Amino acid sequence: MMELAEHVLNLGVALQNEGSQTATSGPAIEKPAAAAIGIGLAALGSGYAERGIGAAAIGALAEDSISTGIAILMTVLPETLVILALVPLFVG
Amino acid sequence: MSSAQGANPEYVNARIRARRAKLFDDEDYRKLVRMGPSEISRYMEESEYEAEMNALGSRHSGVDLIEYSLNRNLAENFEDILDWAGGGLYEQIASYLRKFDAWNVKTVLRGVYSGASRDEVASDLIRAGEFDDRFLERLLDAQSIEGVVELLDGTIFERGMEAAFPEYEETDVLVPLENAADRAFYENLIAELGDYEPDSALALYAGFLKAEIDFRNARNALRLARSGADLDPAEYYIAGGDLFSEGQLSSLVSSTSELVSVIRDSEYGDELGQALAELEDADSLIGFERALDAALQEYADHLSHVHPLSVTPVLSYIIAKEREVNNIRAIARGREAGLSEDEIEKELVTI
Repeated sequence: MMELAEHVLNLGVALQNEGSQTATSGPAIEKPAAAAIGIGLAALGSGYAERGIGAAAIGALAEDSISTGIAILMTVLPETLVILALVPLFVG
Repeated sequence: MSSAQGANPEYVNARIRARRAKLFDDEDYRKLVRMGPSEISRYMEESEYEAEMNALGSRHSGVDLIEYSLNRNLAENFEDILDWAGGGLYEQIASYLRKFDAWNVKTVLRGVYSGASRDEVASDLIRAGEFDDRFLERLLDAQSIEGVVELLDGTIFERGMEAAFPEYEETDVLVPLENAADRAFYENLIAELGDYEPDSALALYAGFLKAEIDFRNARNALRLARSGADLDPAEYYIAGGDLFSEGQLSSLVSSTSELVSVIRDSEYGDELGQALAELEDADSLIGFERALDAALQEYADHLSHVHPLSVTPVLSYIIAKEREVNNIRAIARGREAGLSEDEIEKELVTI
């Protein structure tokens, strides 16, 4: 994941350099593109969180100690992070 | 070992906590203590032990049935944990479960020594360690103590066994070989830990292992001190703990009160204080040994909450499961021997 973040950062720097060379006054990354990067990173983060929760939920389900509904609910809780990350797309 | 790459503590711990919740609690023990052997069997048939009770029910009966079911259930549970775990977690659990390899080696040695039949020894084995069934069969087929020692070549027990064998031949007592098995297990466990950062999960795990070794040393020392037998305490000493050094232990064994004061001044003094006072008053080791078991369990539980995503919850489950099996066995054997309910309750380790 760190590699990807680095890559995105490099992309940003490259775009910025390009911007200064052509001497246009617009931002390096357009607003919707910036929001898209944010949403993508948020999705990666929740995916990583869901990995552990999903594993634990399947473990608990295998032992019949929780119901399927609770297991699914717990597993997708970090998904709310992605929904919050959609906010900059609309207000930005 | 699971097909998953790398450690998967989330999955293993979720399953383990579910199993932990299904262990017998104080209420169950209170009921069991008032039952006879056949009622205990019936009670177990309706619990987690159902499969084992049914599988062994046609071959054994009474307290033997209970005991063999307990052993088999214990082994199945621990095999399950190994099936679930992957990566580094698997390695850590497997090396702790070698405890049962040491147990099996000792059982086979005692069987050969006492001339017990192959079937008798086989039903006492706990098939939870690293040794697979084929190796255990070969151990069972061994005709002599020397044969067993030779078979252990290439395992973690090789060095200790070979060193202890001449002494066995000289004295014809099993003690050196049995101690070698225990010592090999603990020393291997400590050696496999390698380097660790302070305050990490691994450091706490190491702390737990040290406590276990310390408690074992303390228990052996107290037993020796009380029995007054003319045995060299250094033979029983397991290296790796913090509480005693080898020389210290030898000099302490001669006096129980000194030994008690050393334990009281140590880091375990707070947890064991009450049990130590009891030991001095009642002059009985039973209460103290129960207190050691309970303190170890509490320590393991504490660790499992400090570092939930590590091997520590597994460890605390392994100890809790062993404790349950020992308790049920104590109840069944106690009832068979006609002990009173109070006496049996004293034998139980509950927290």
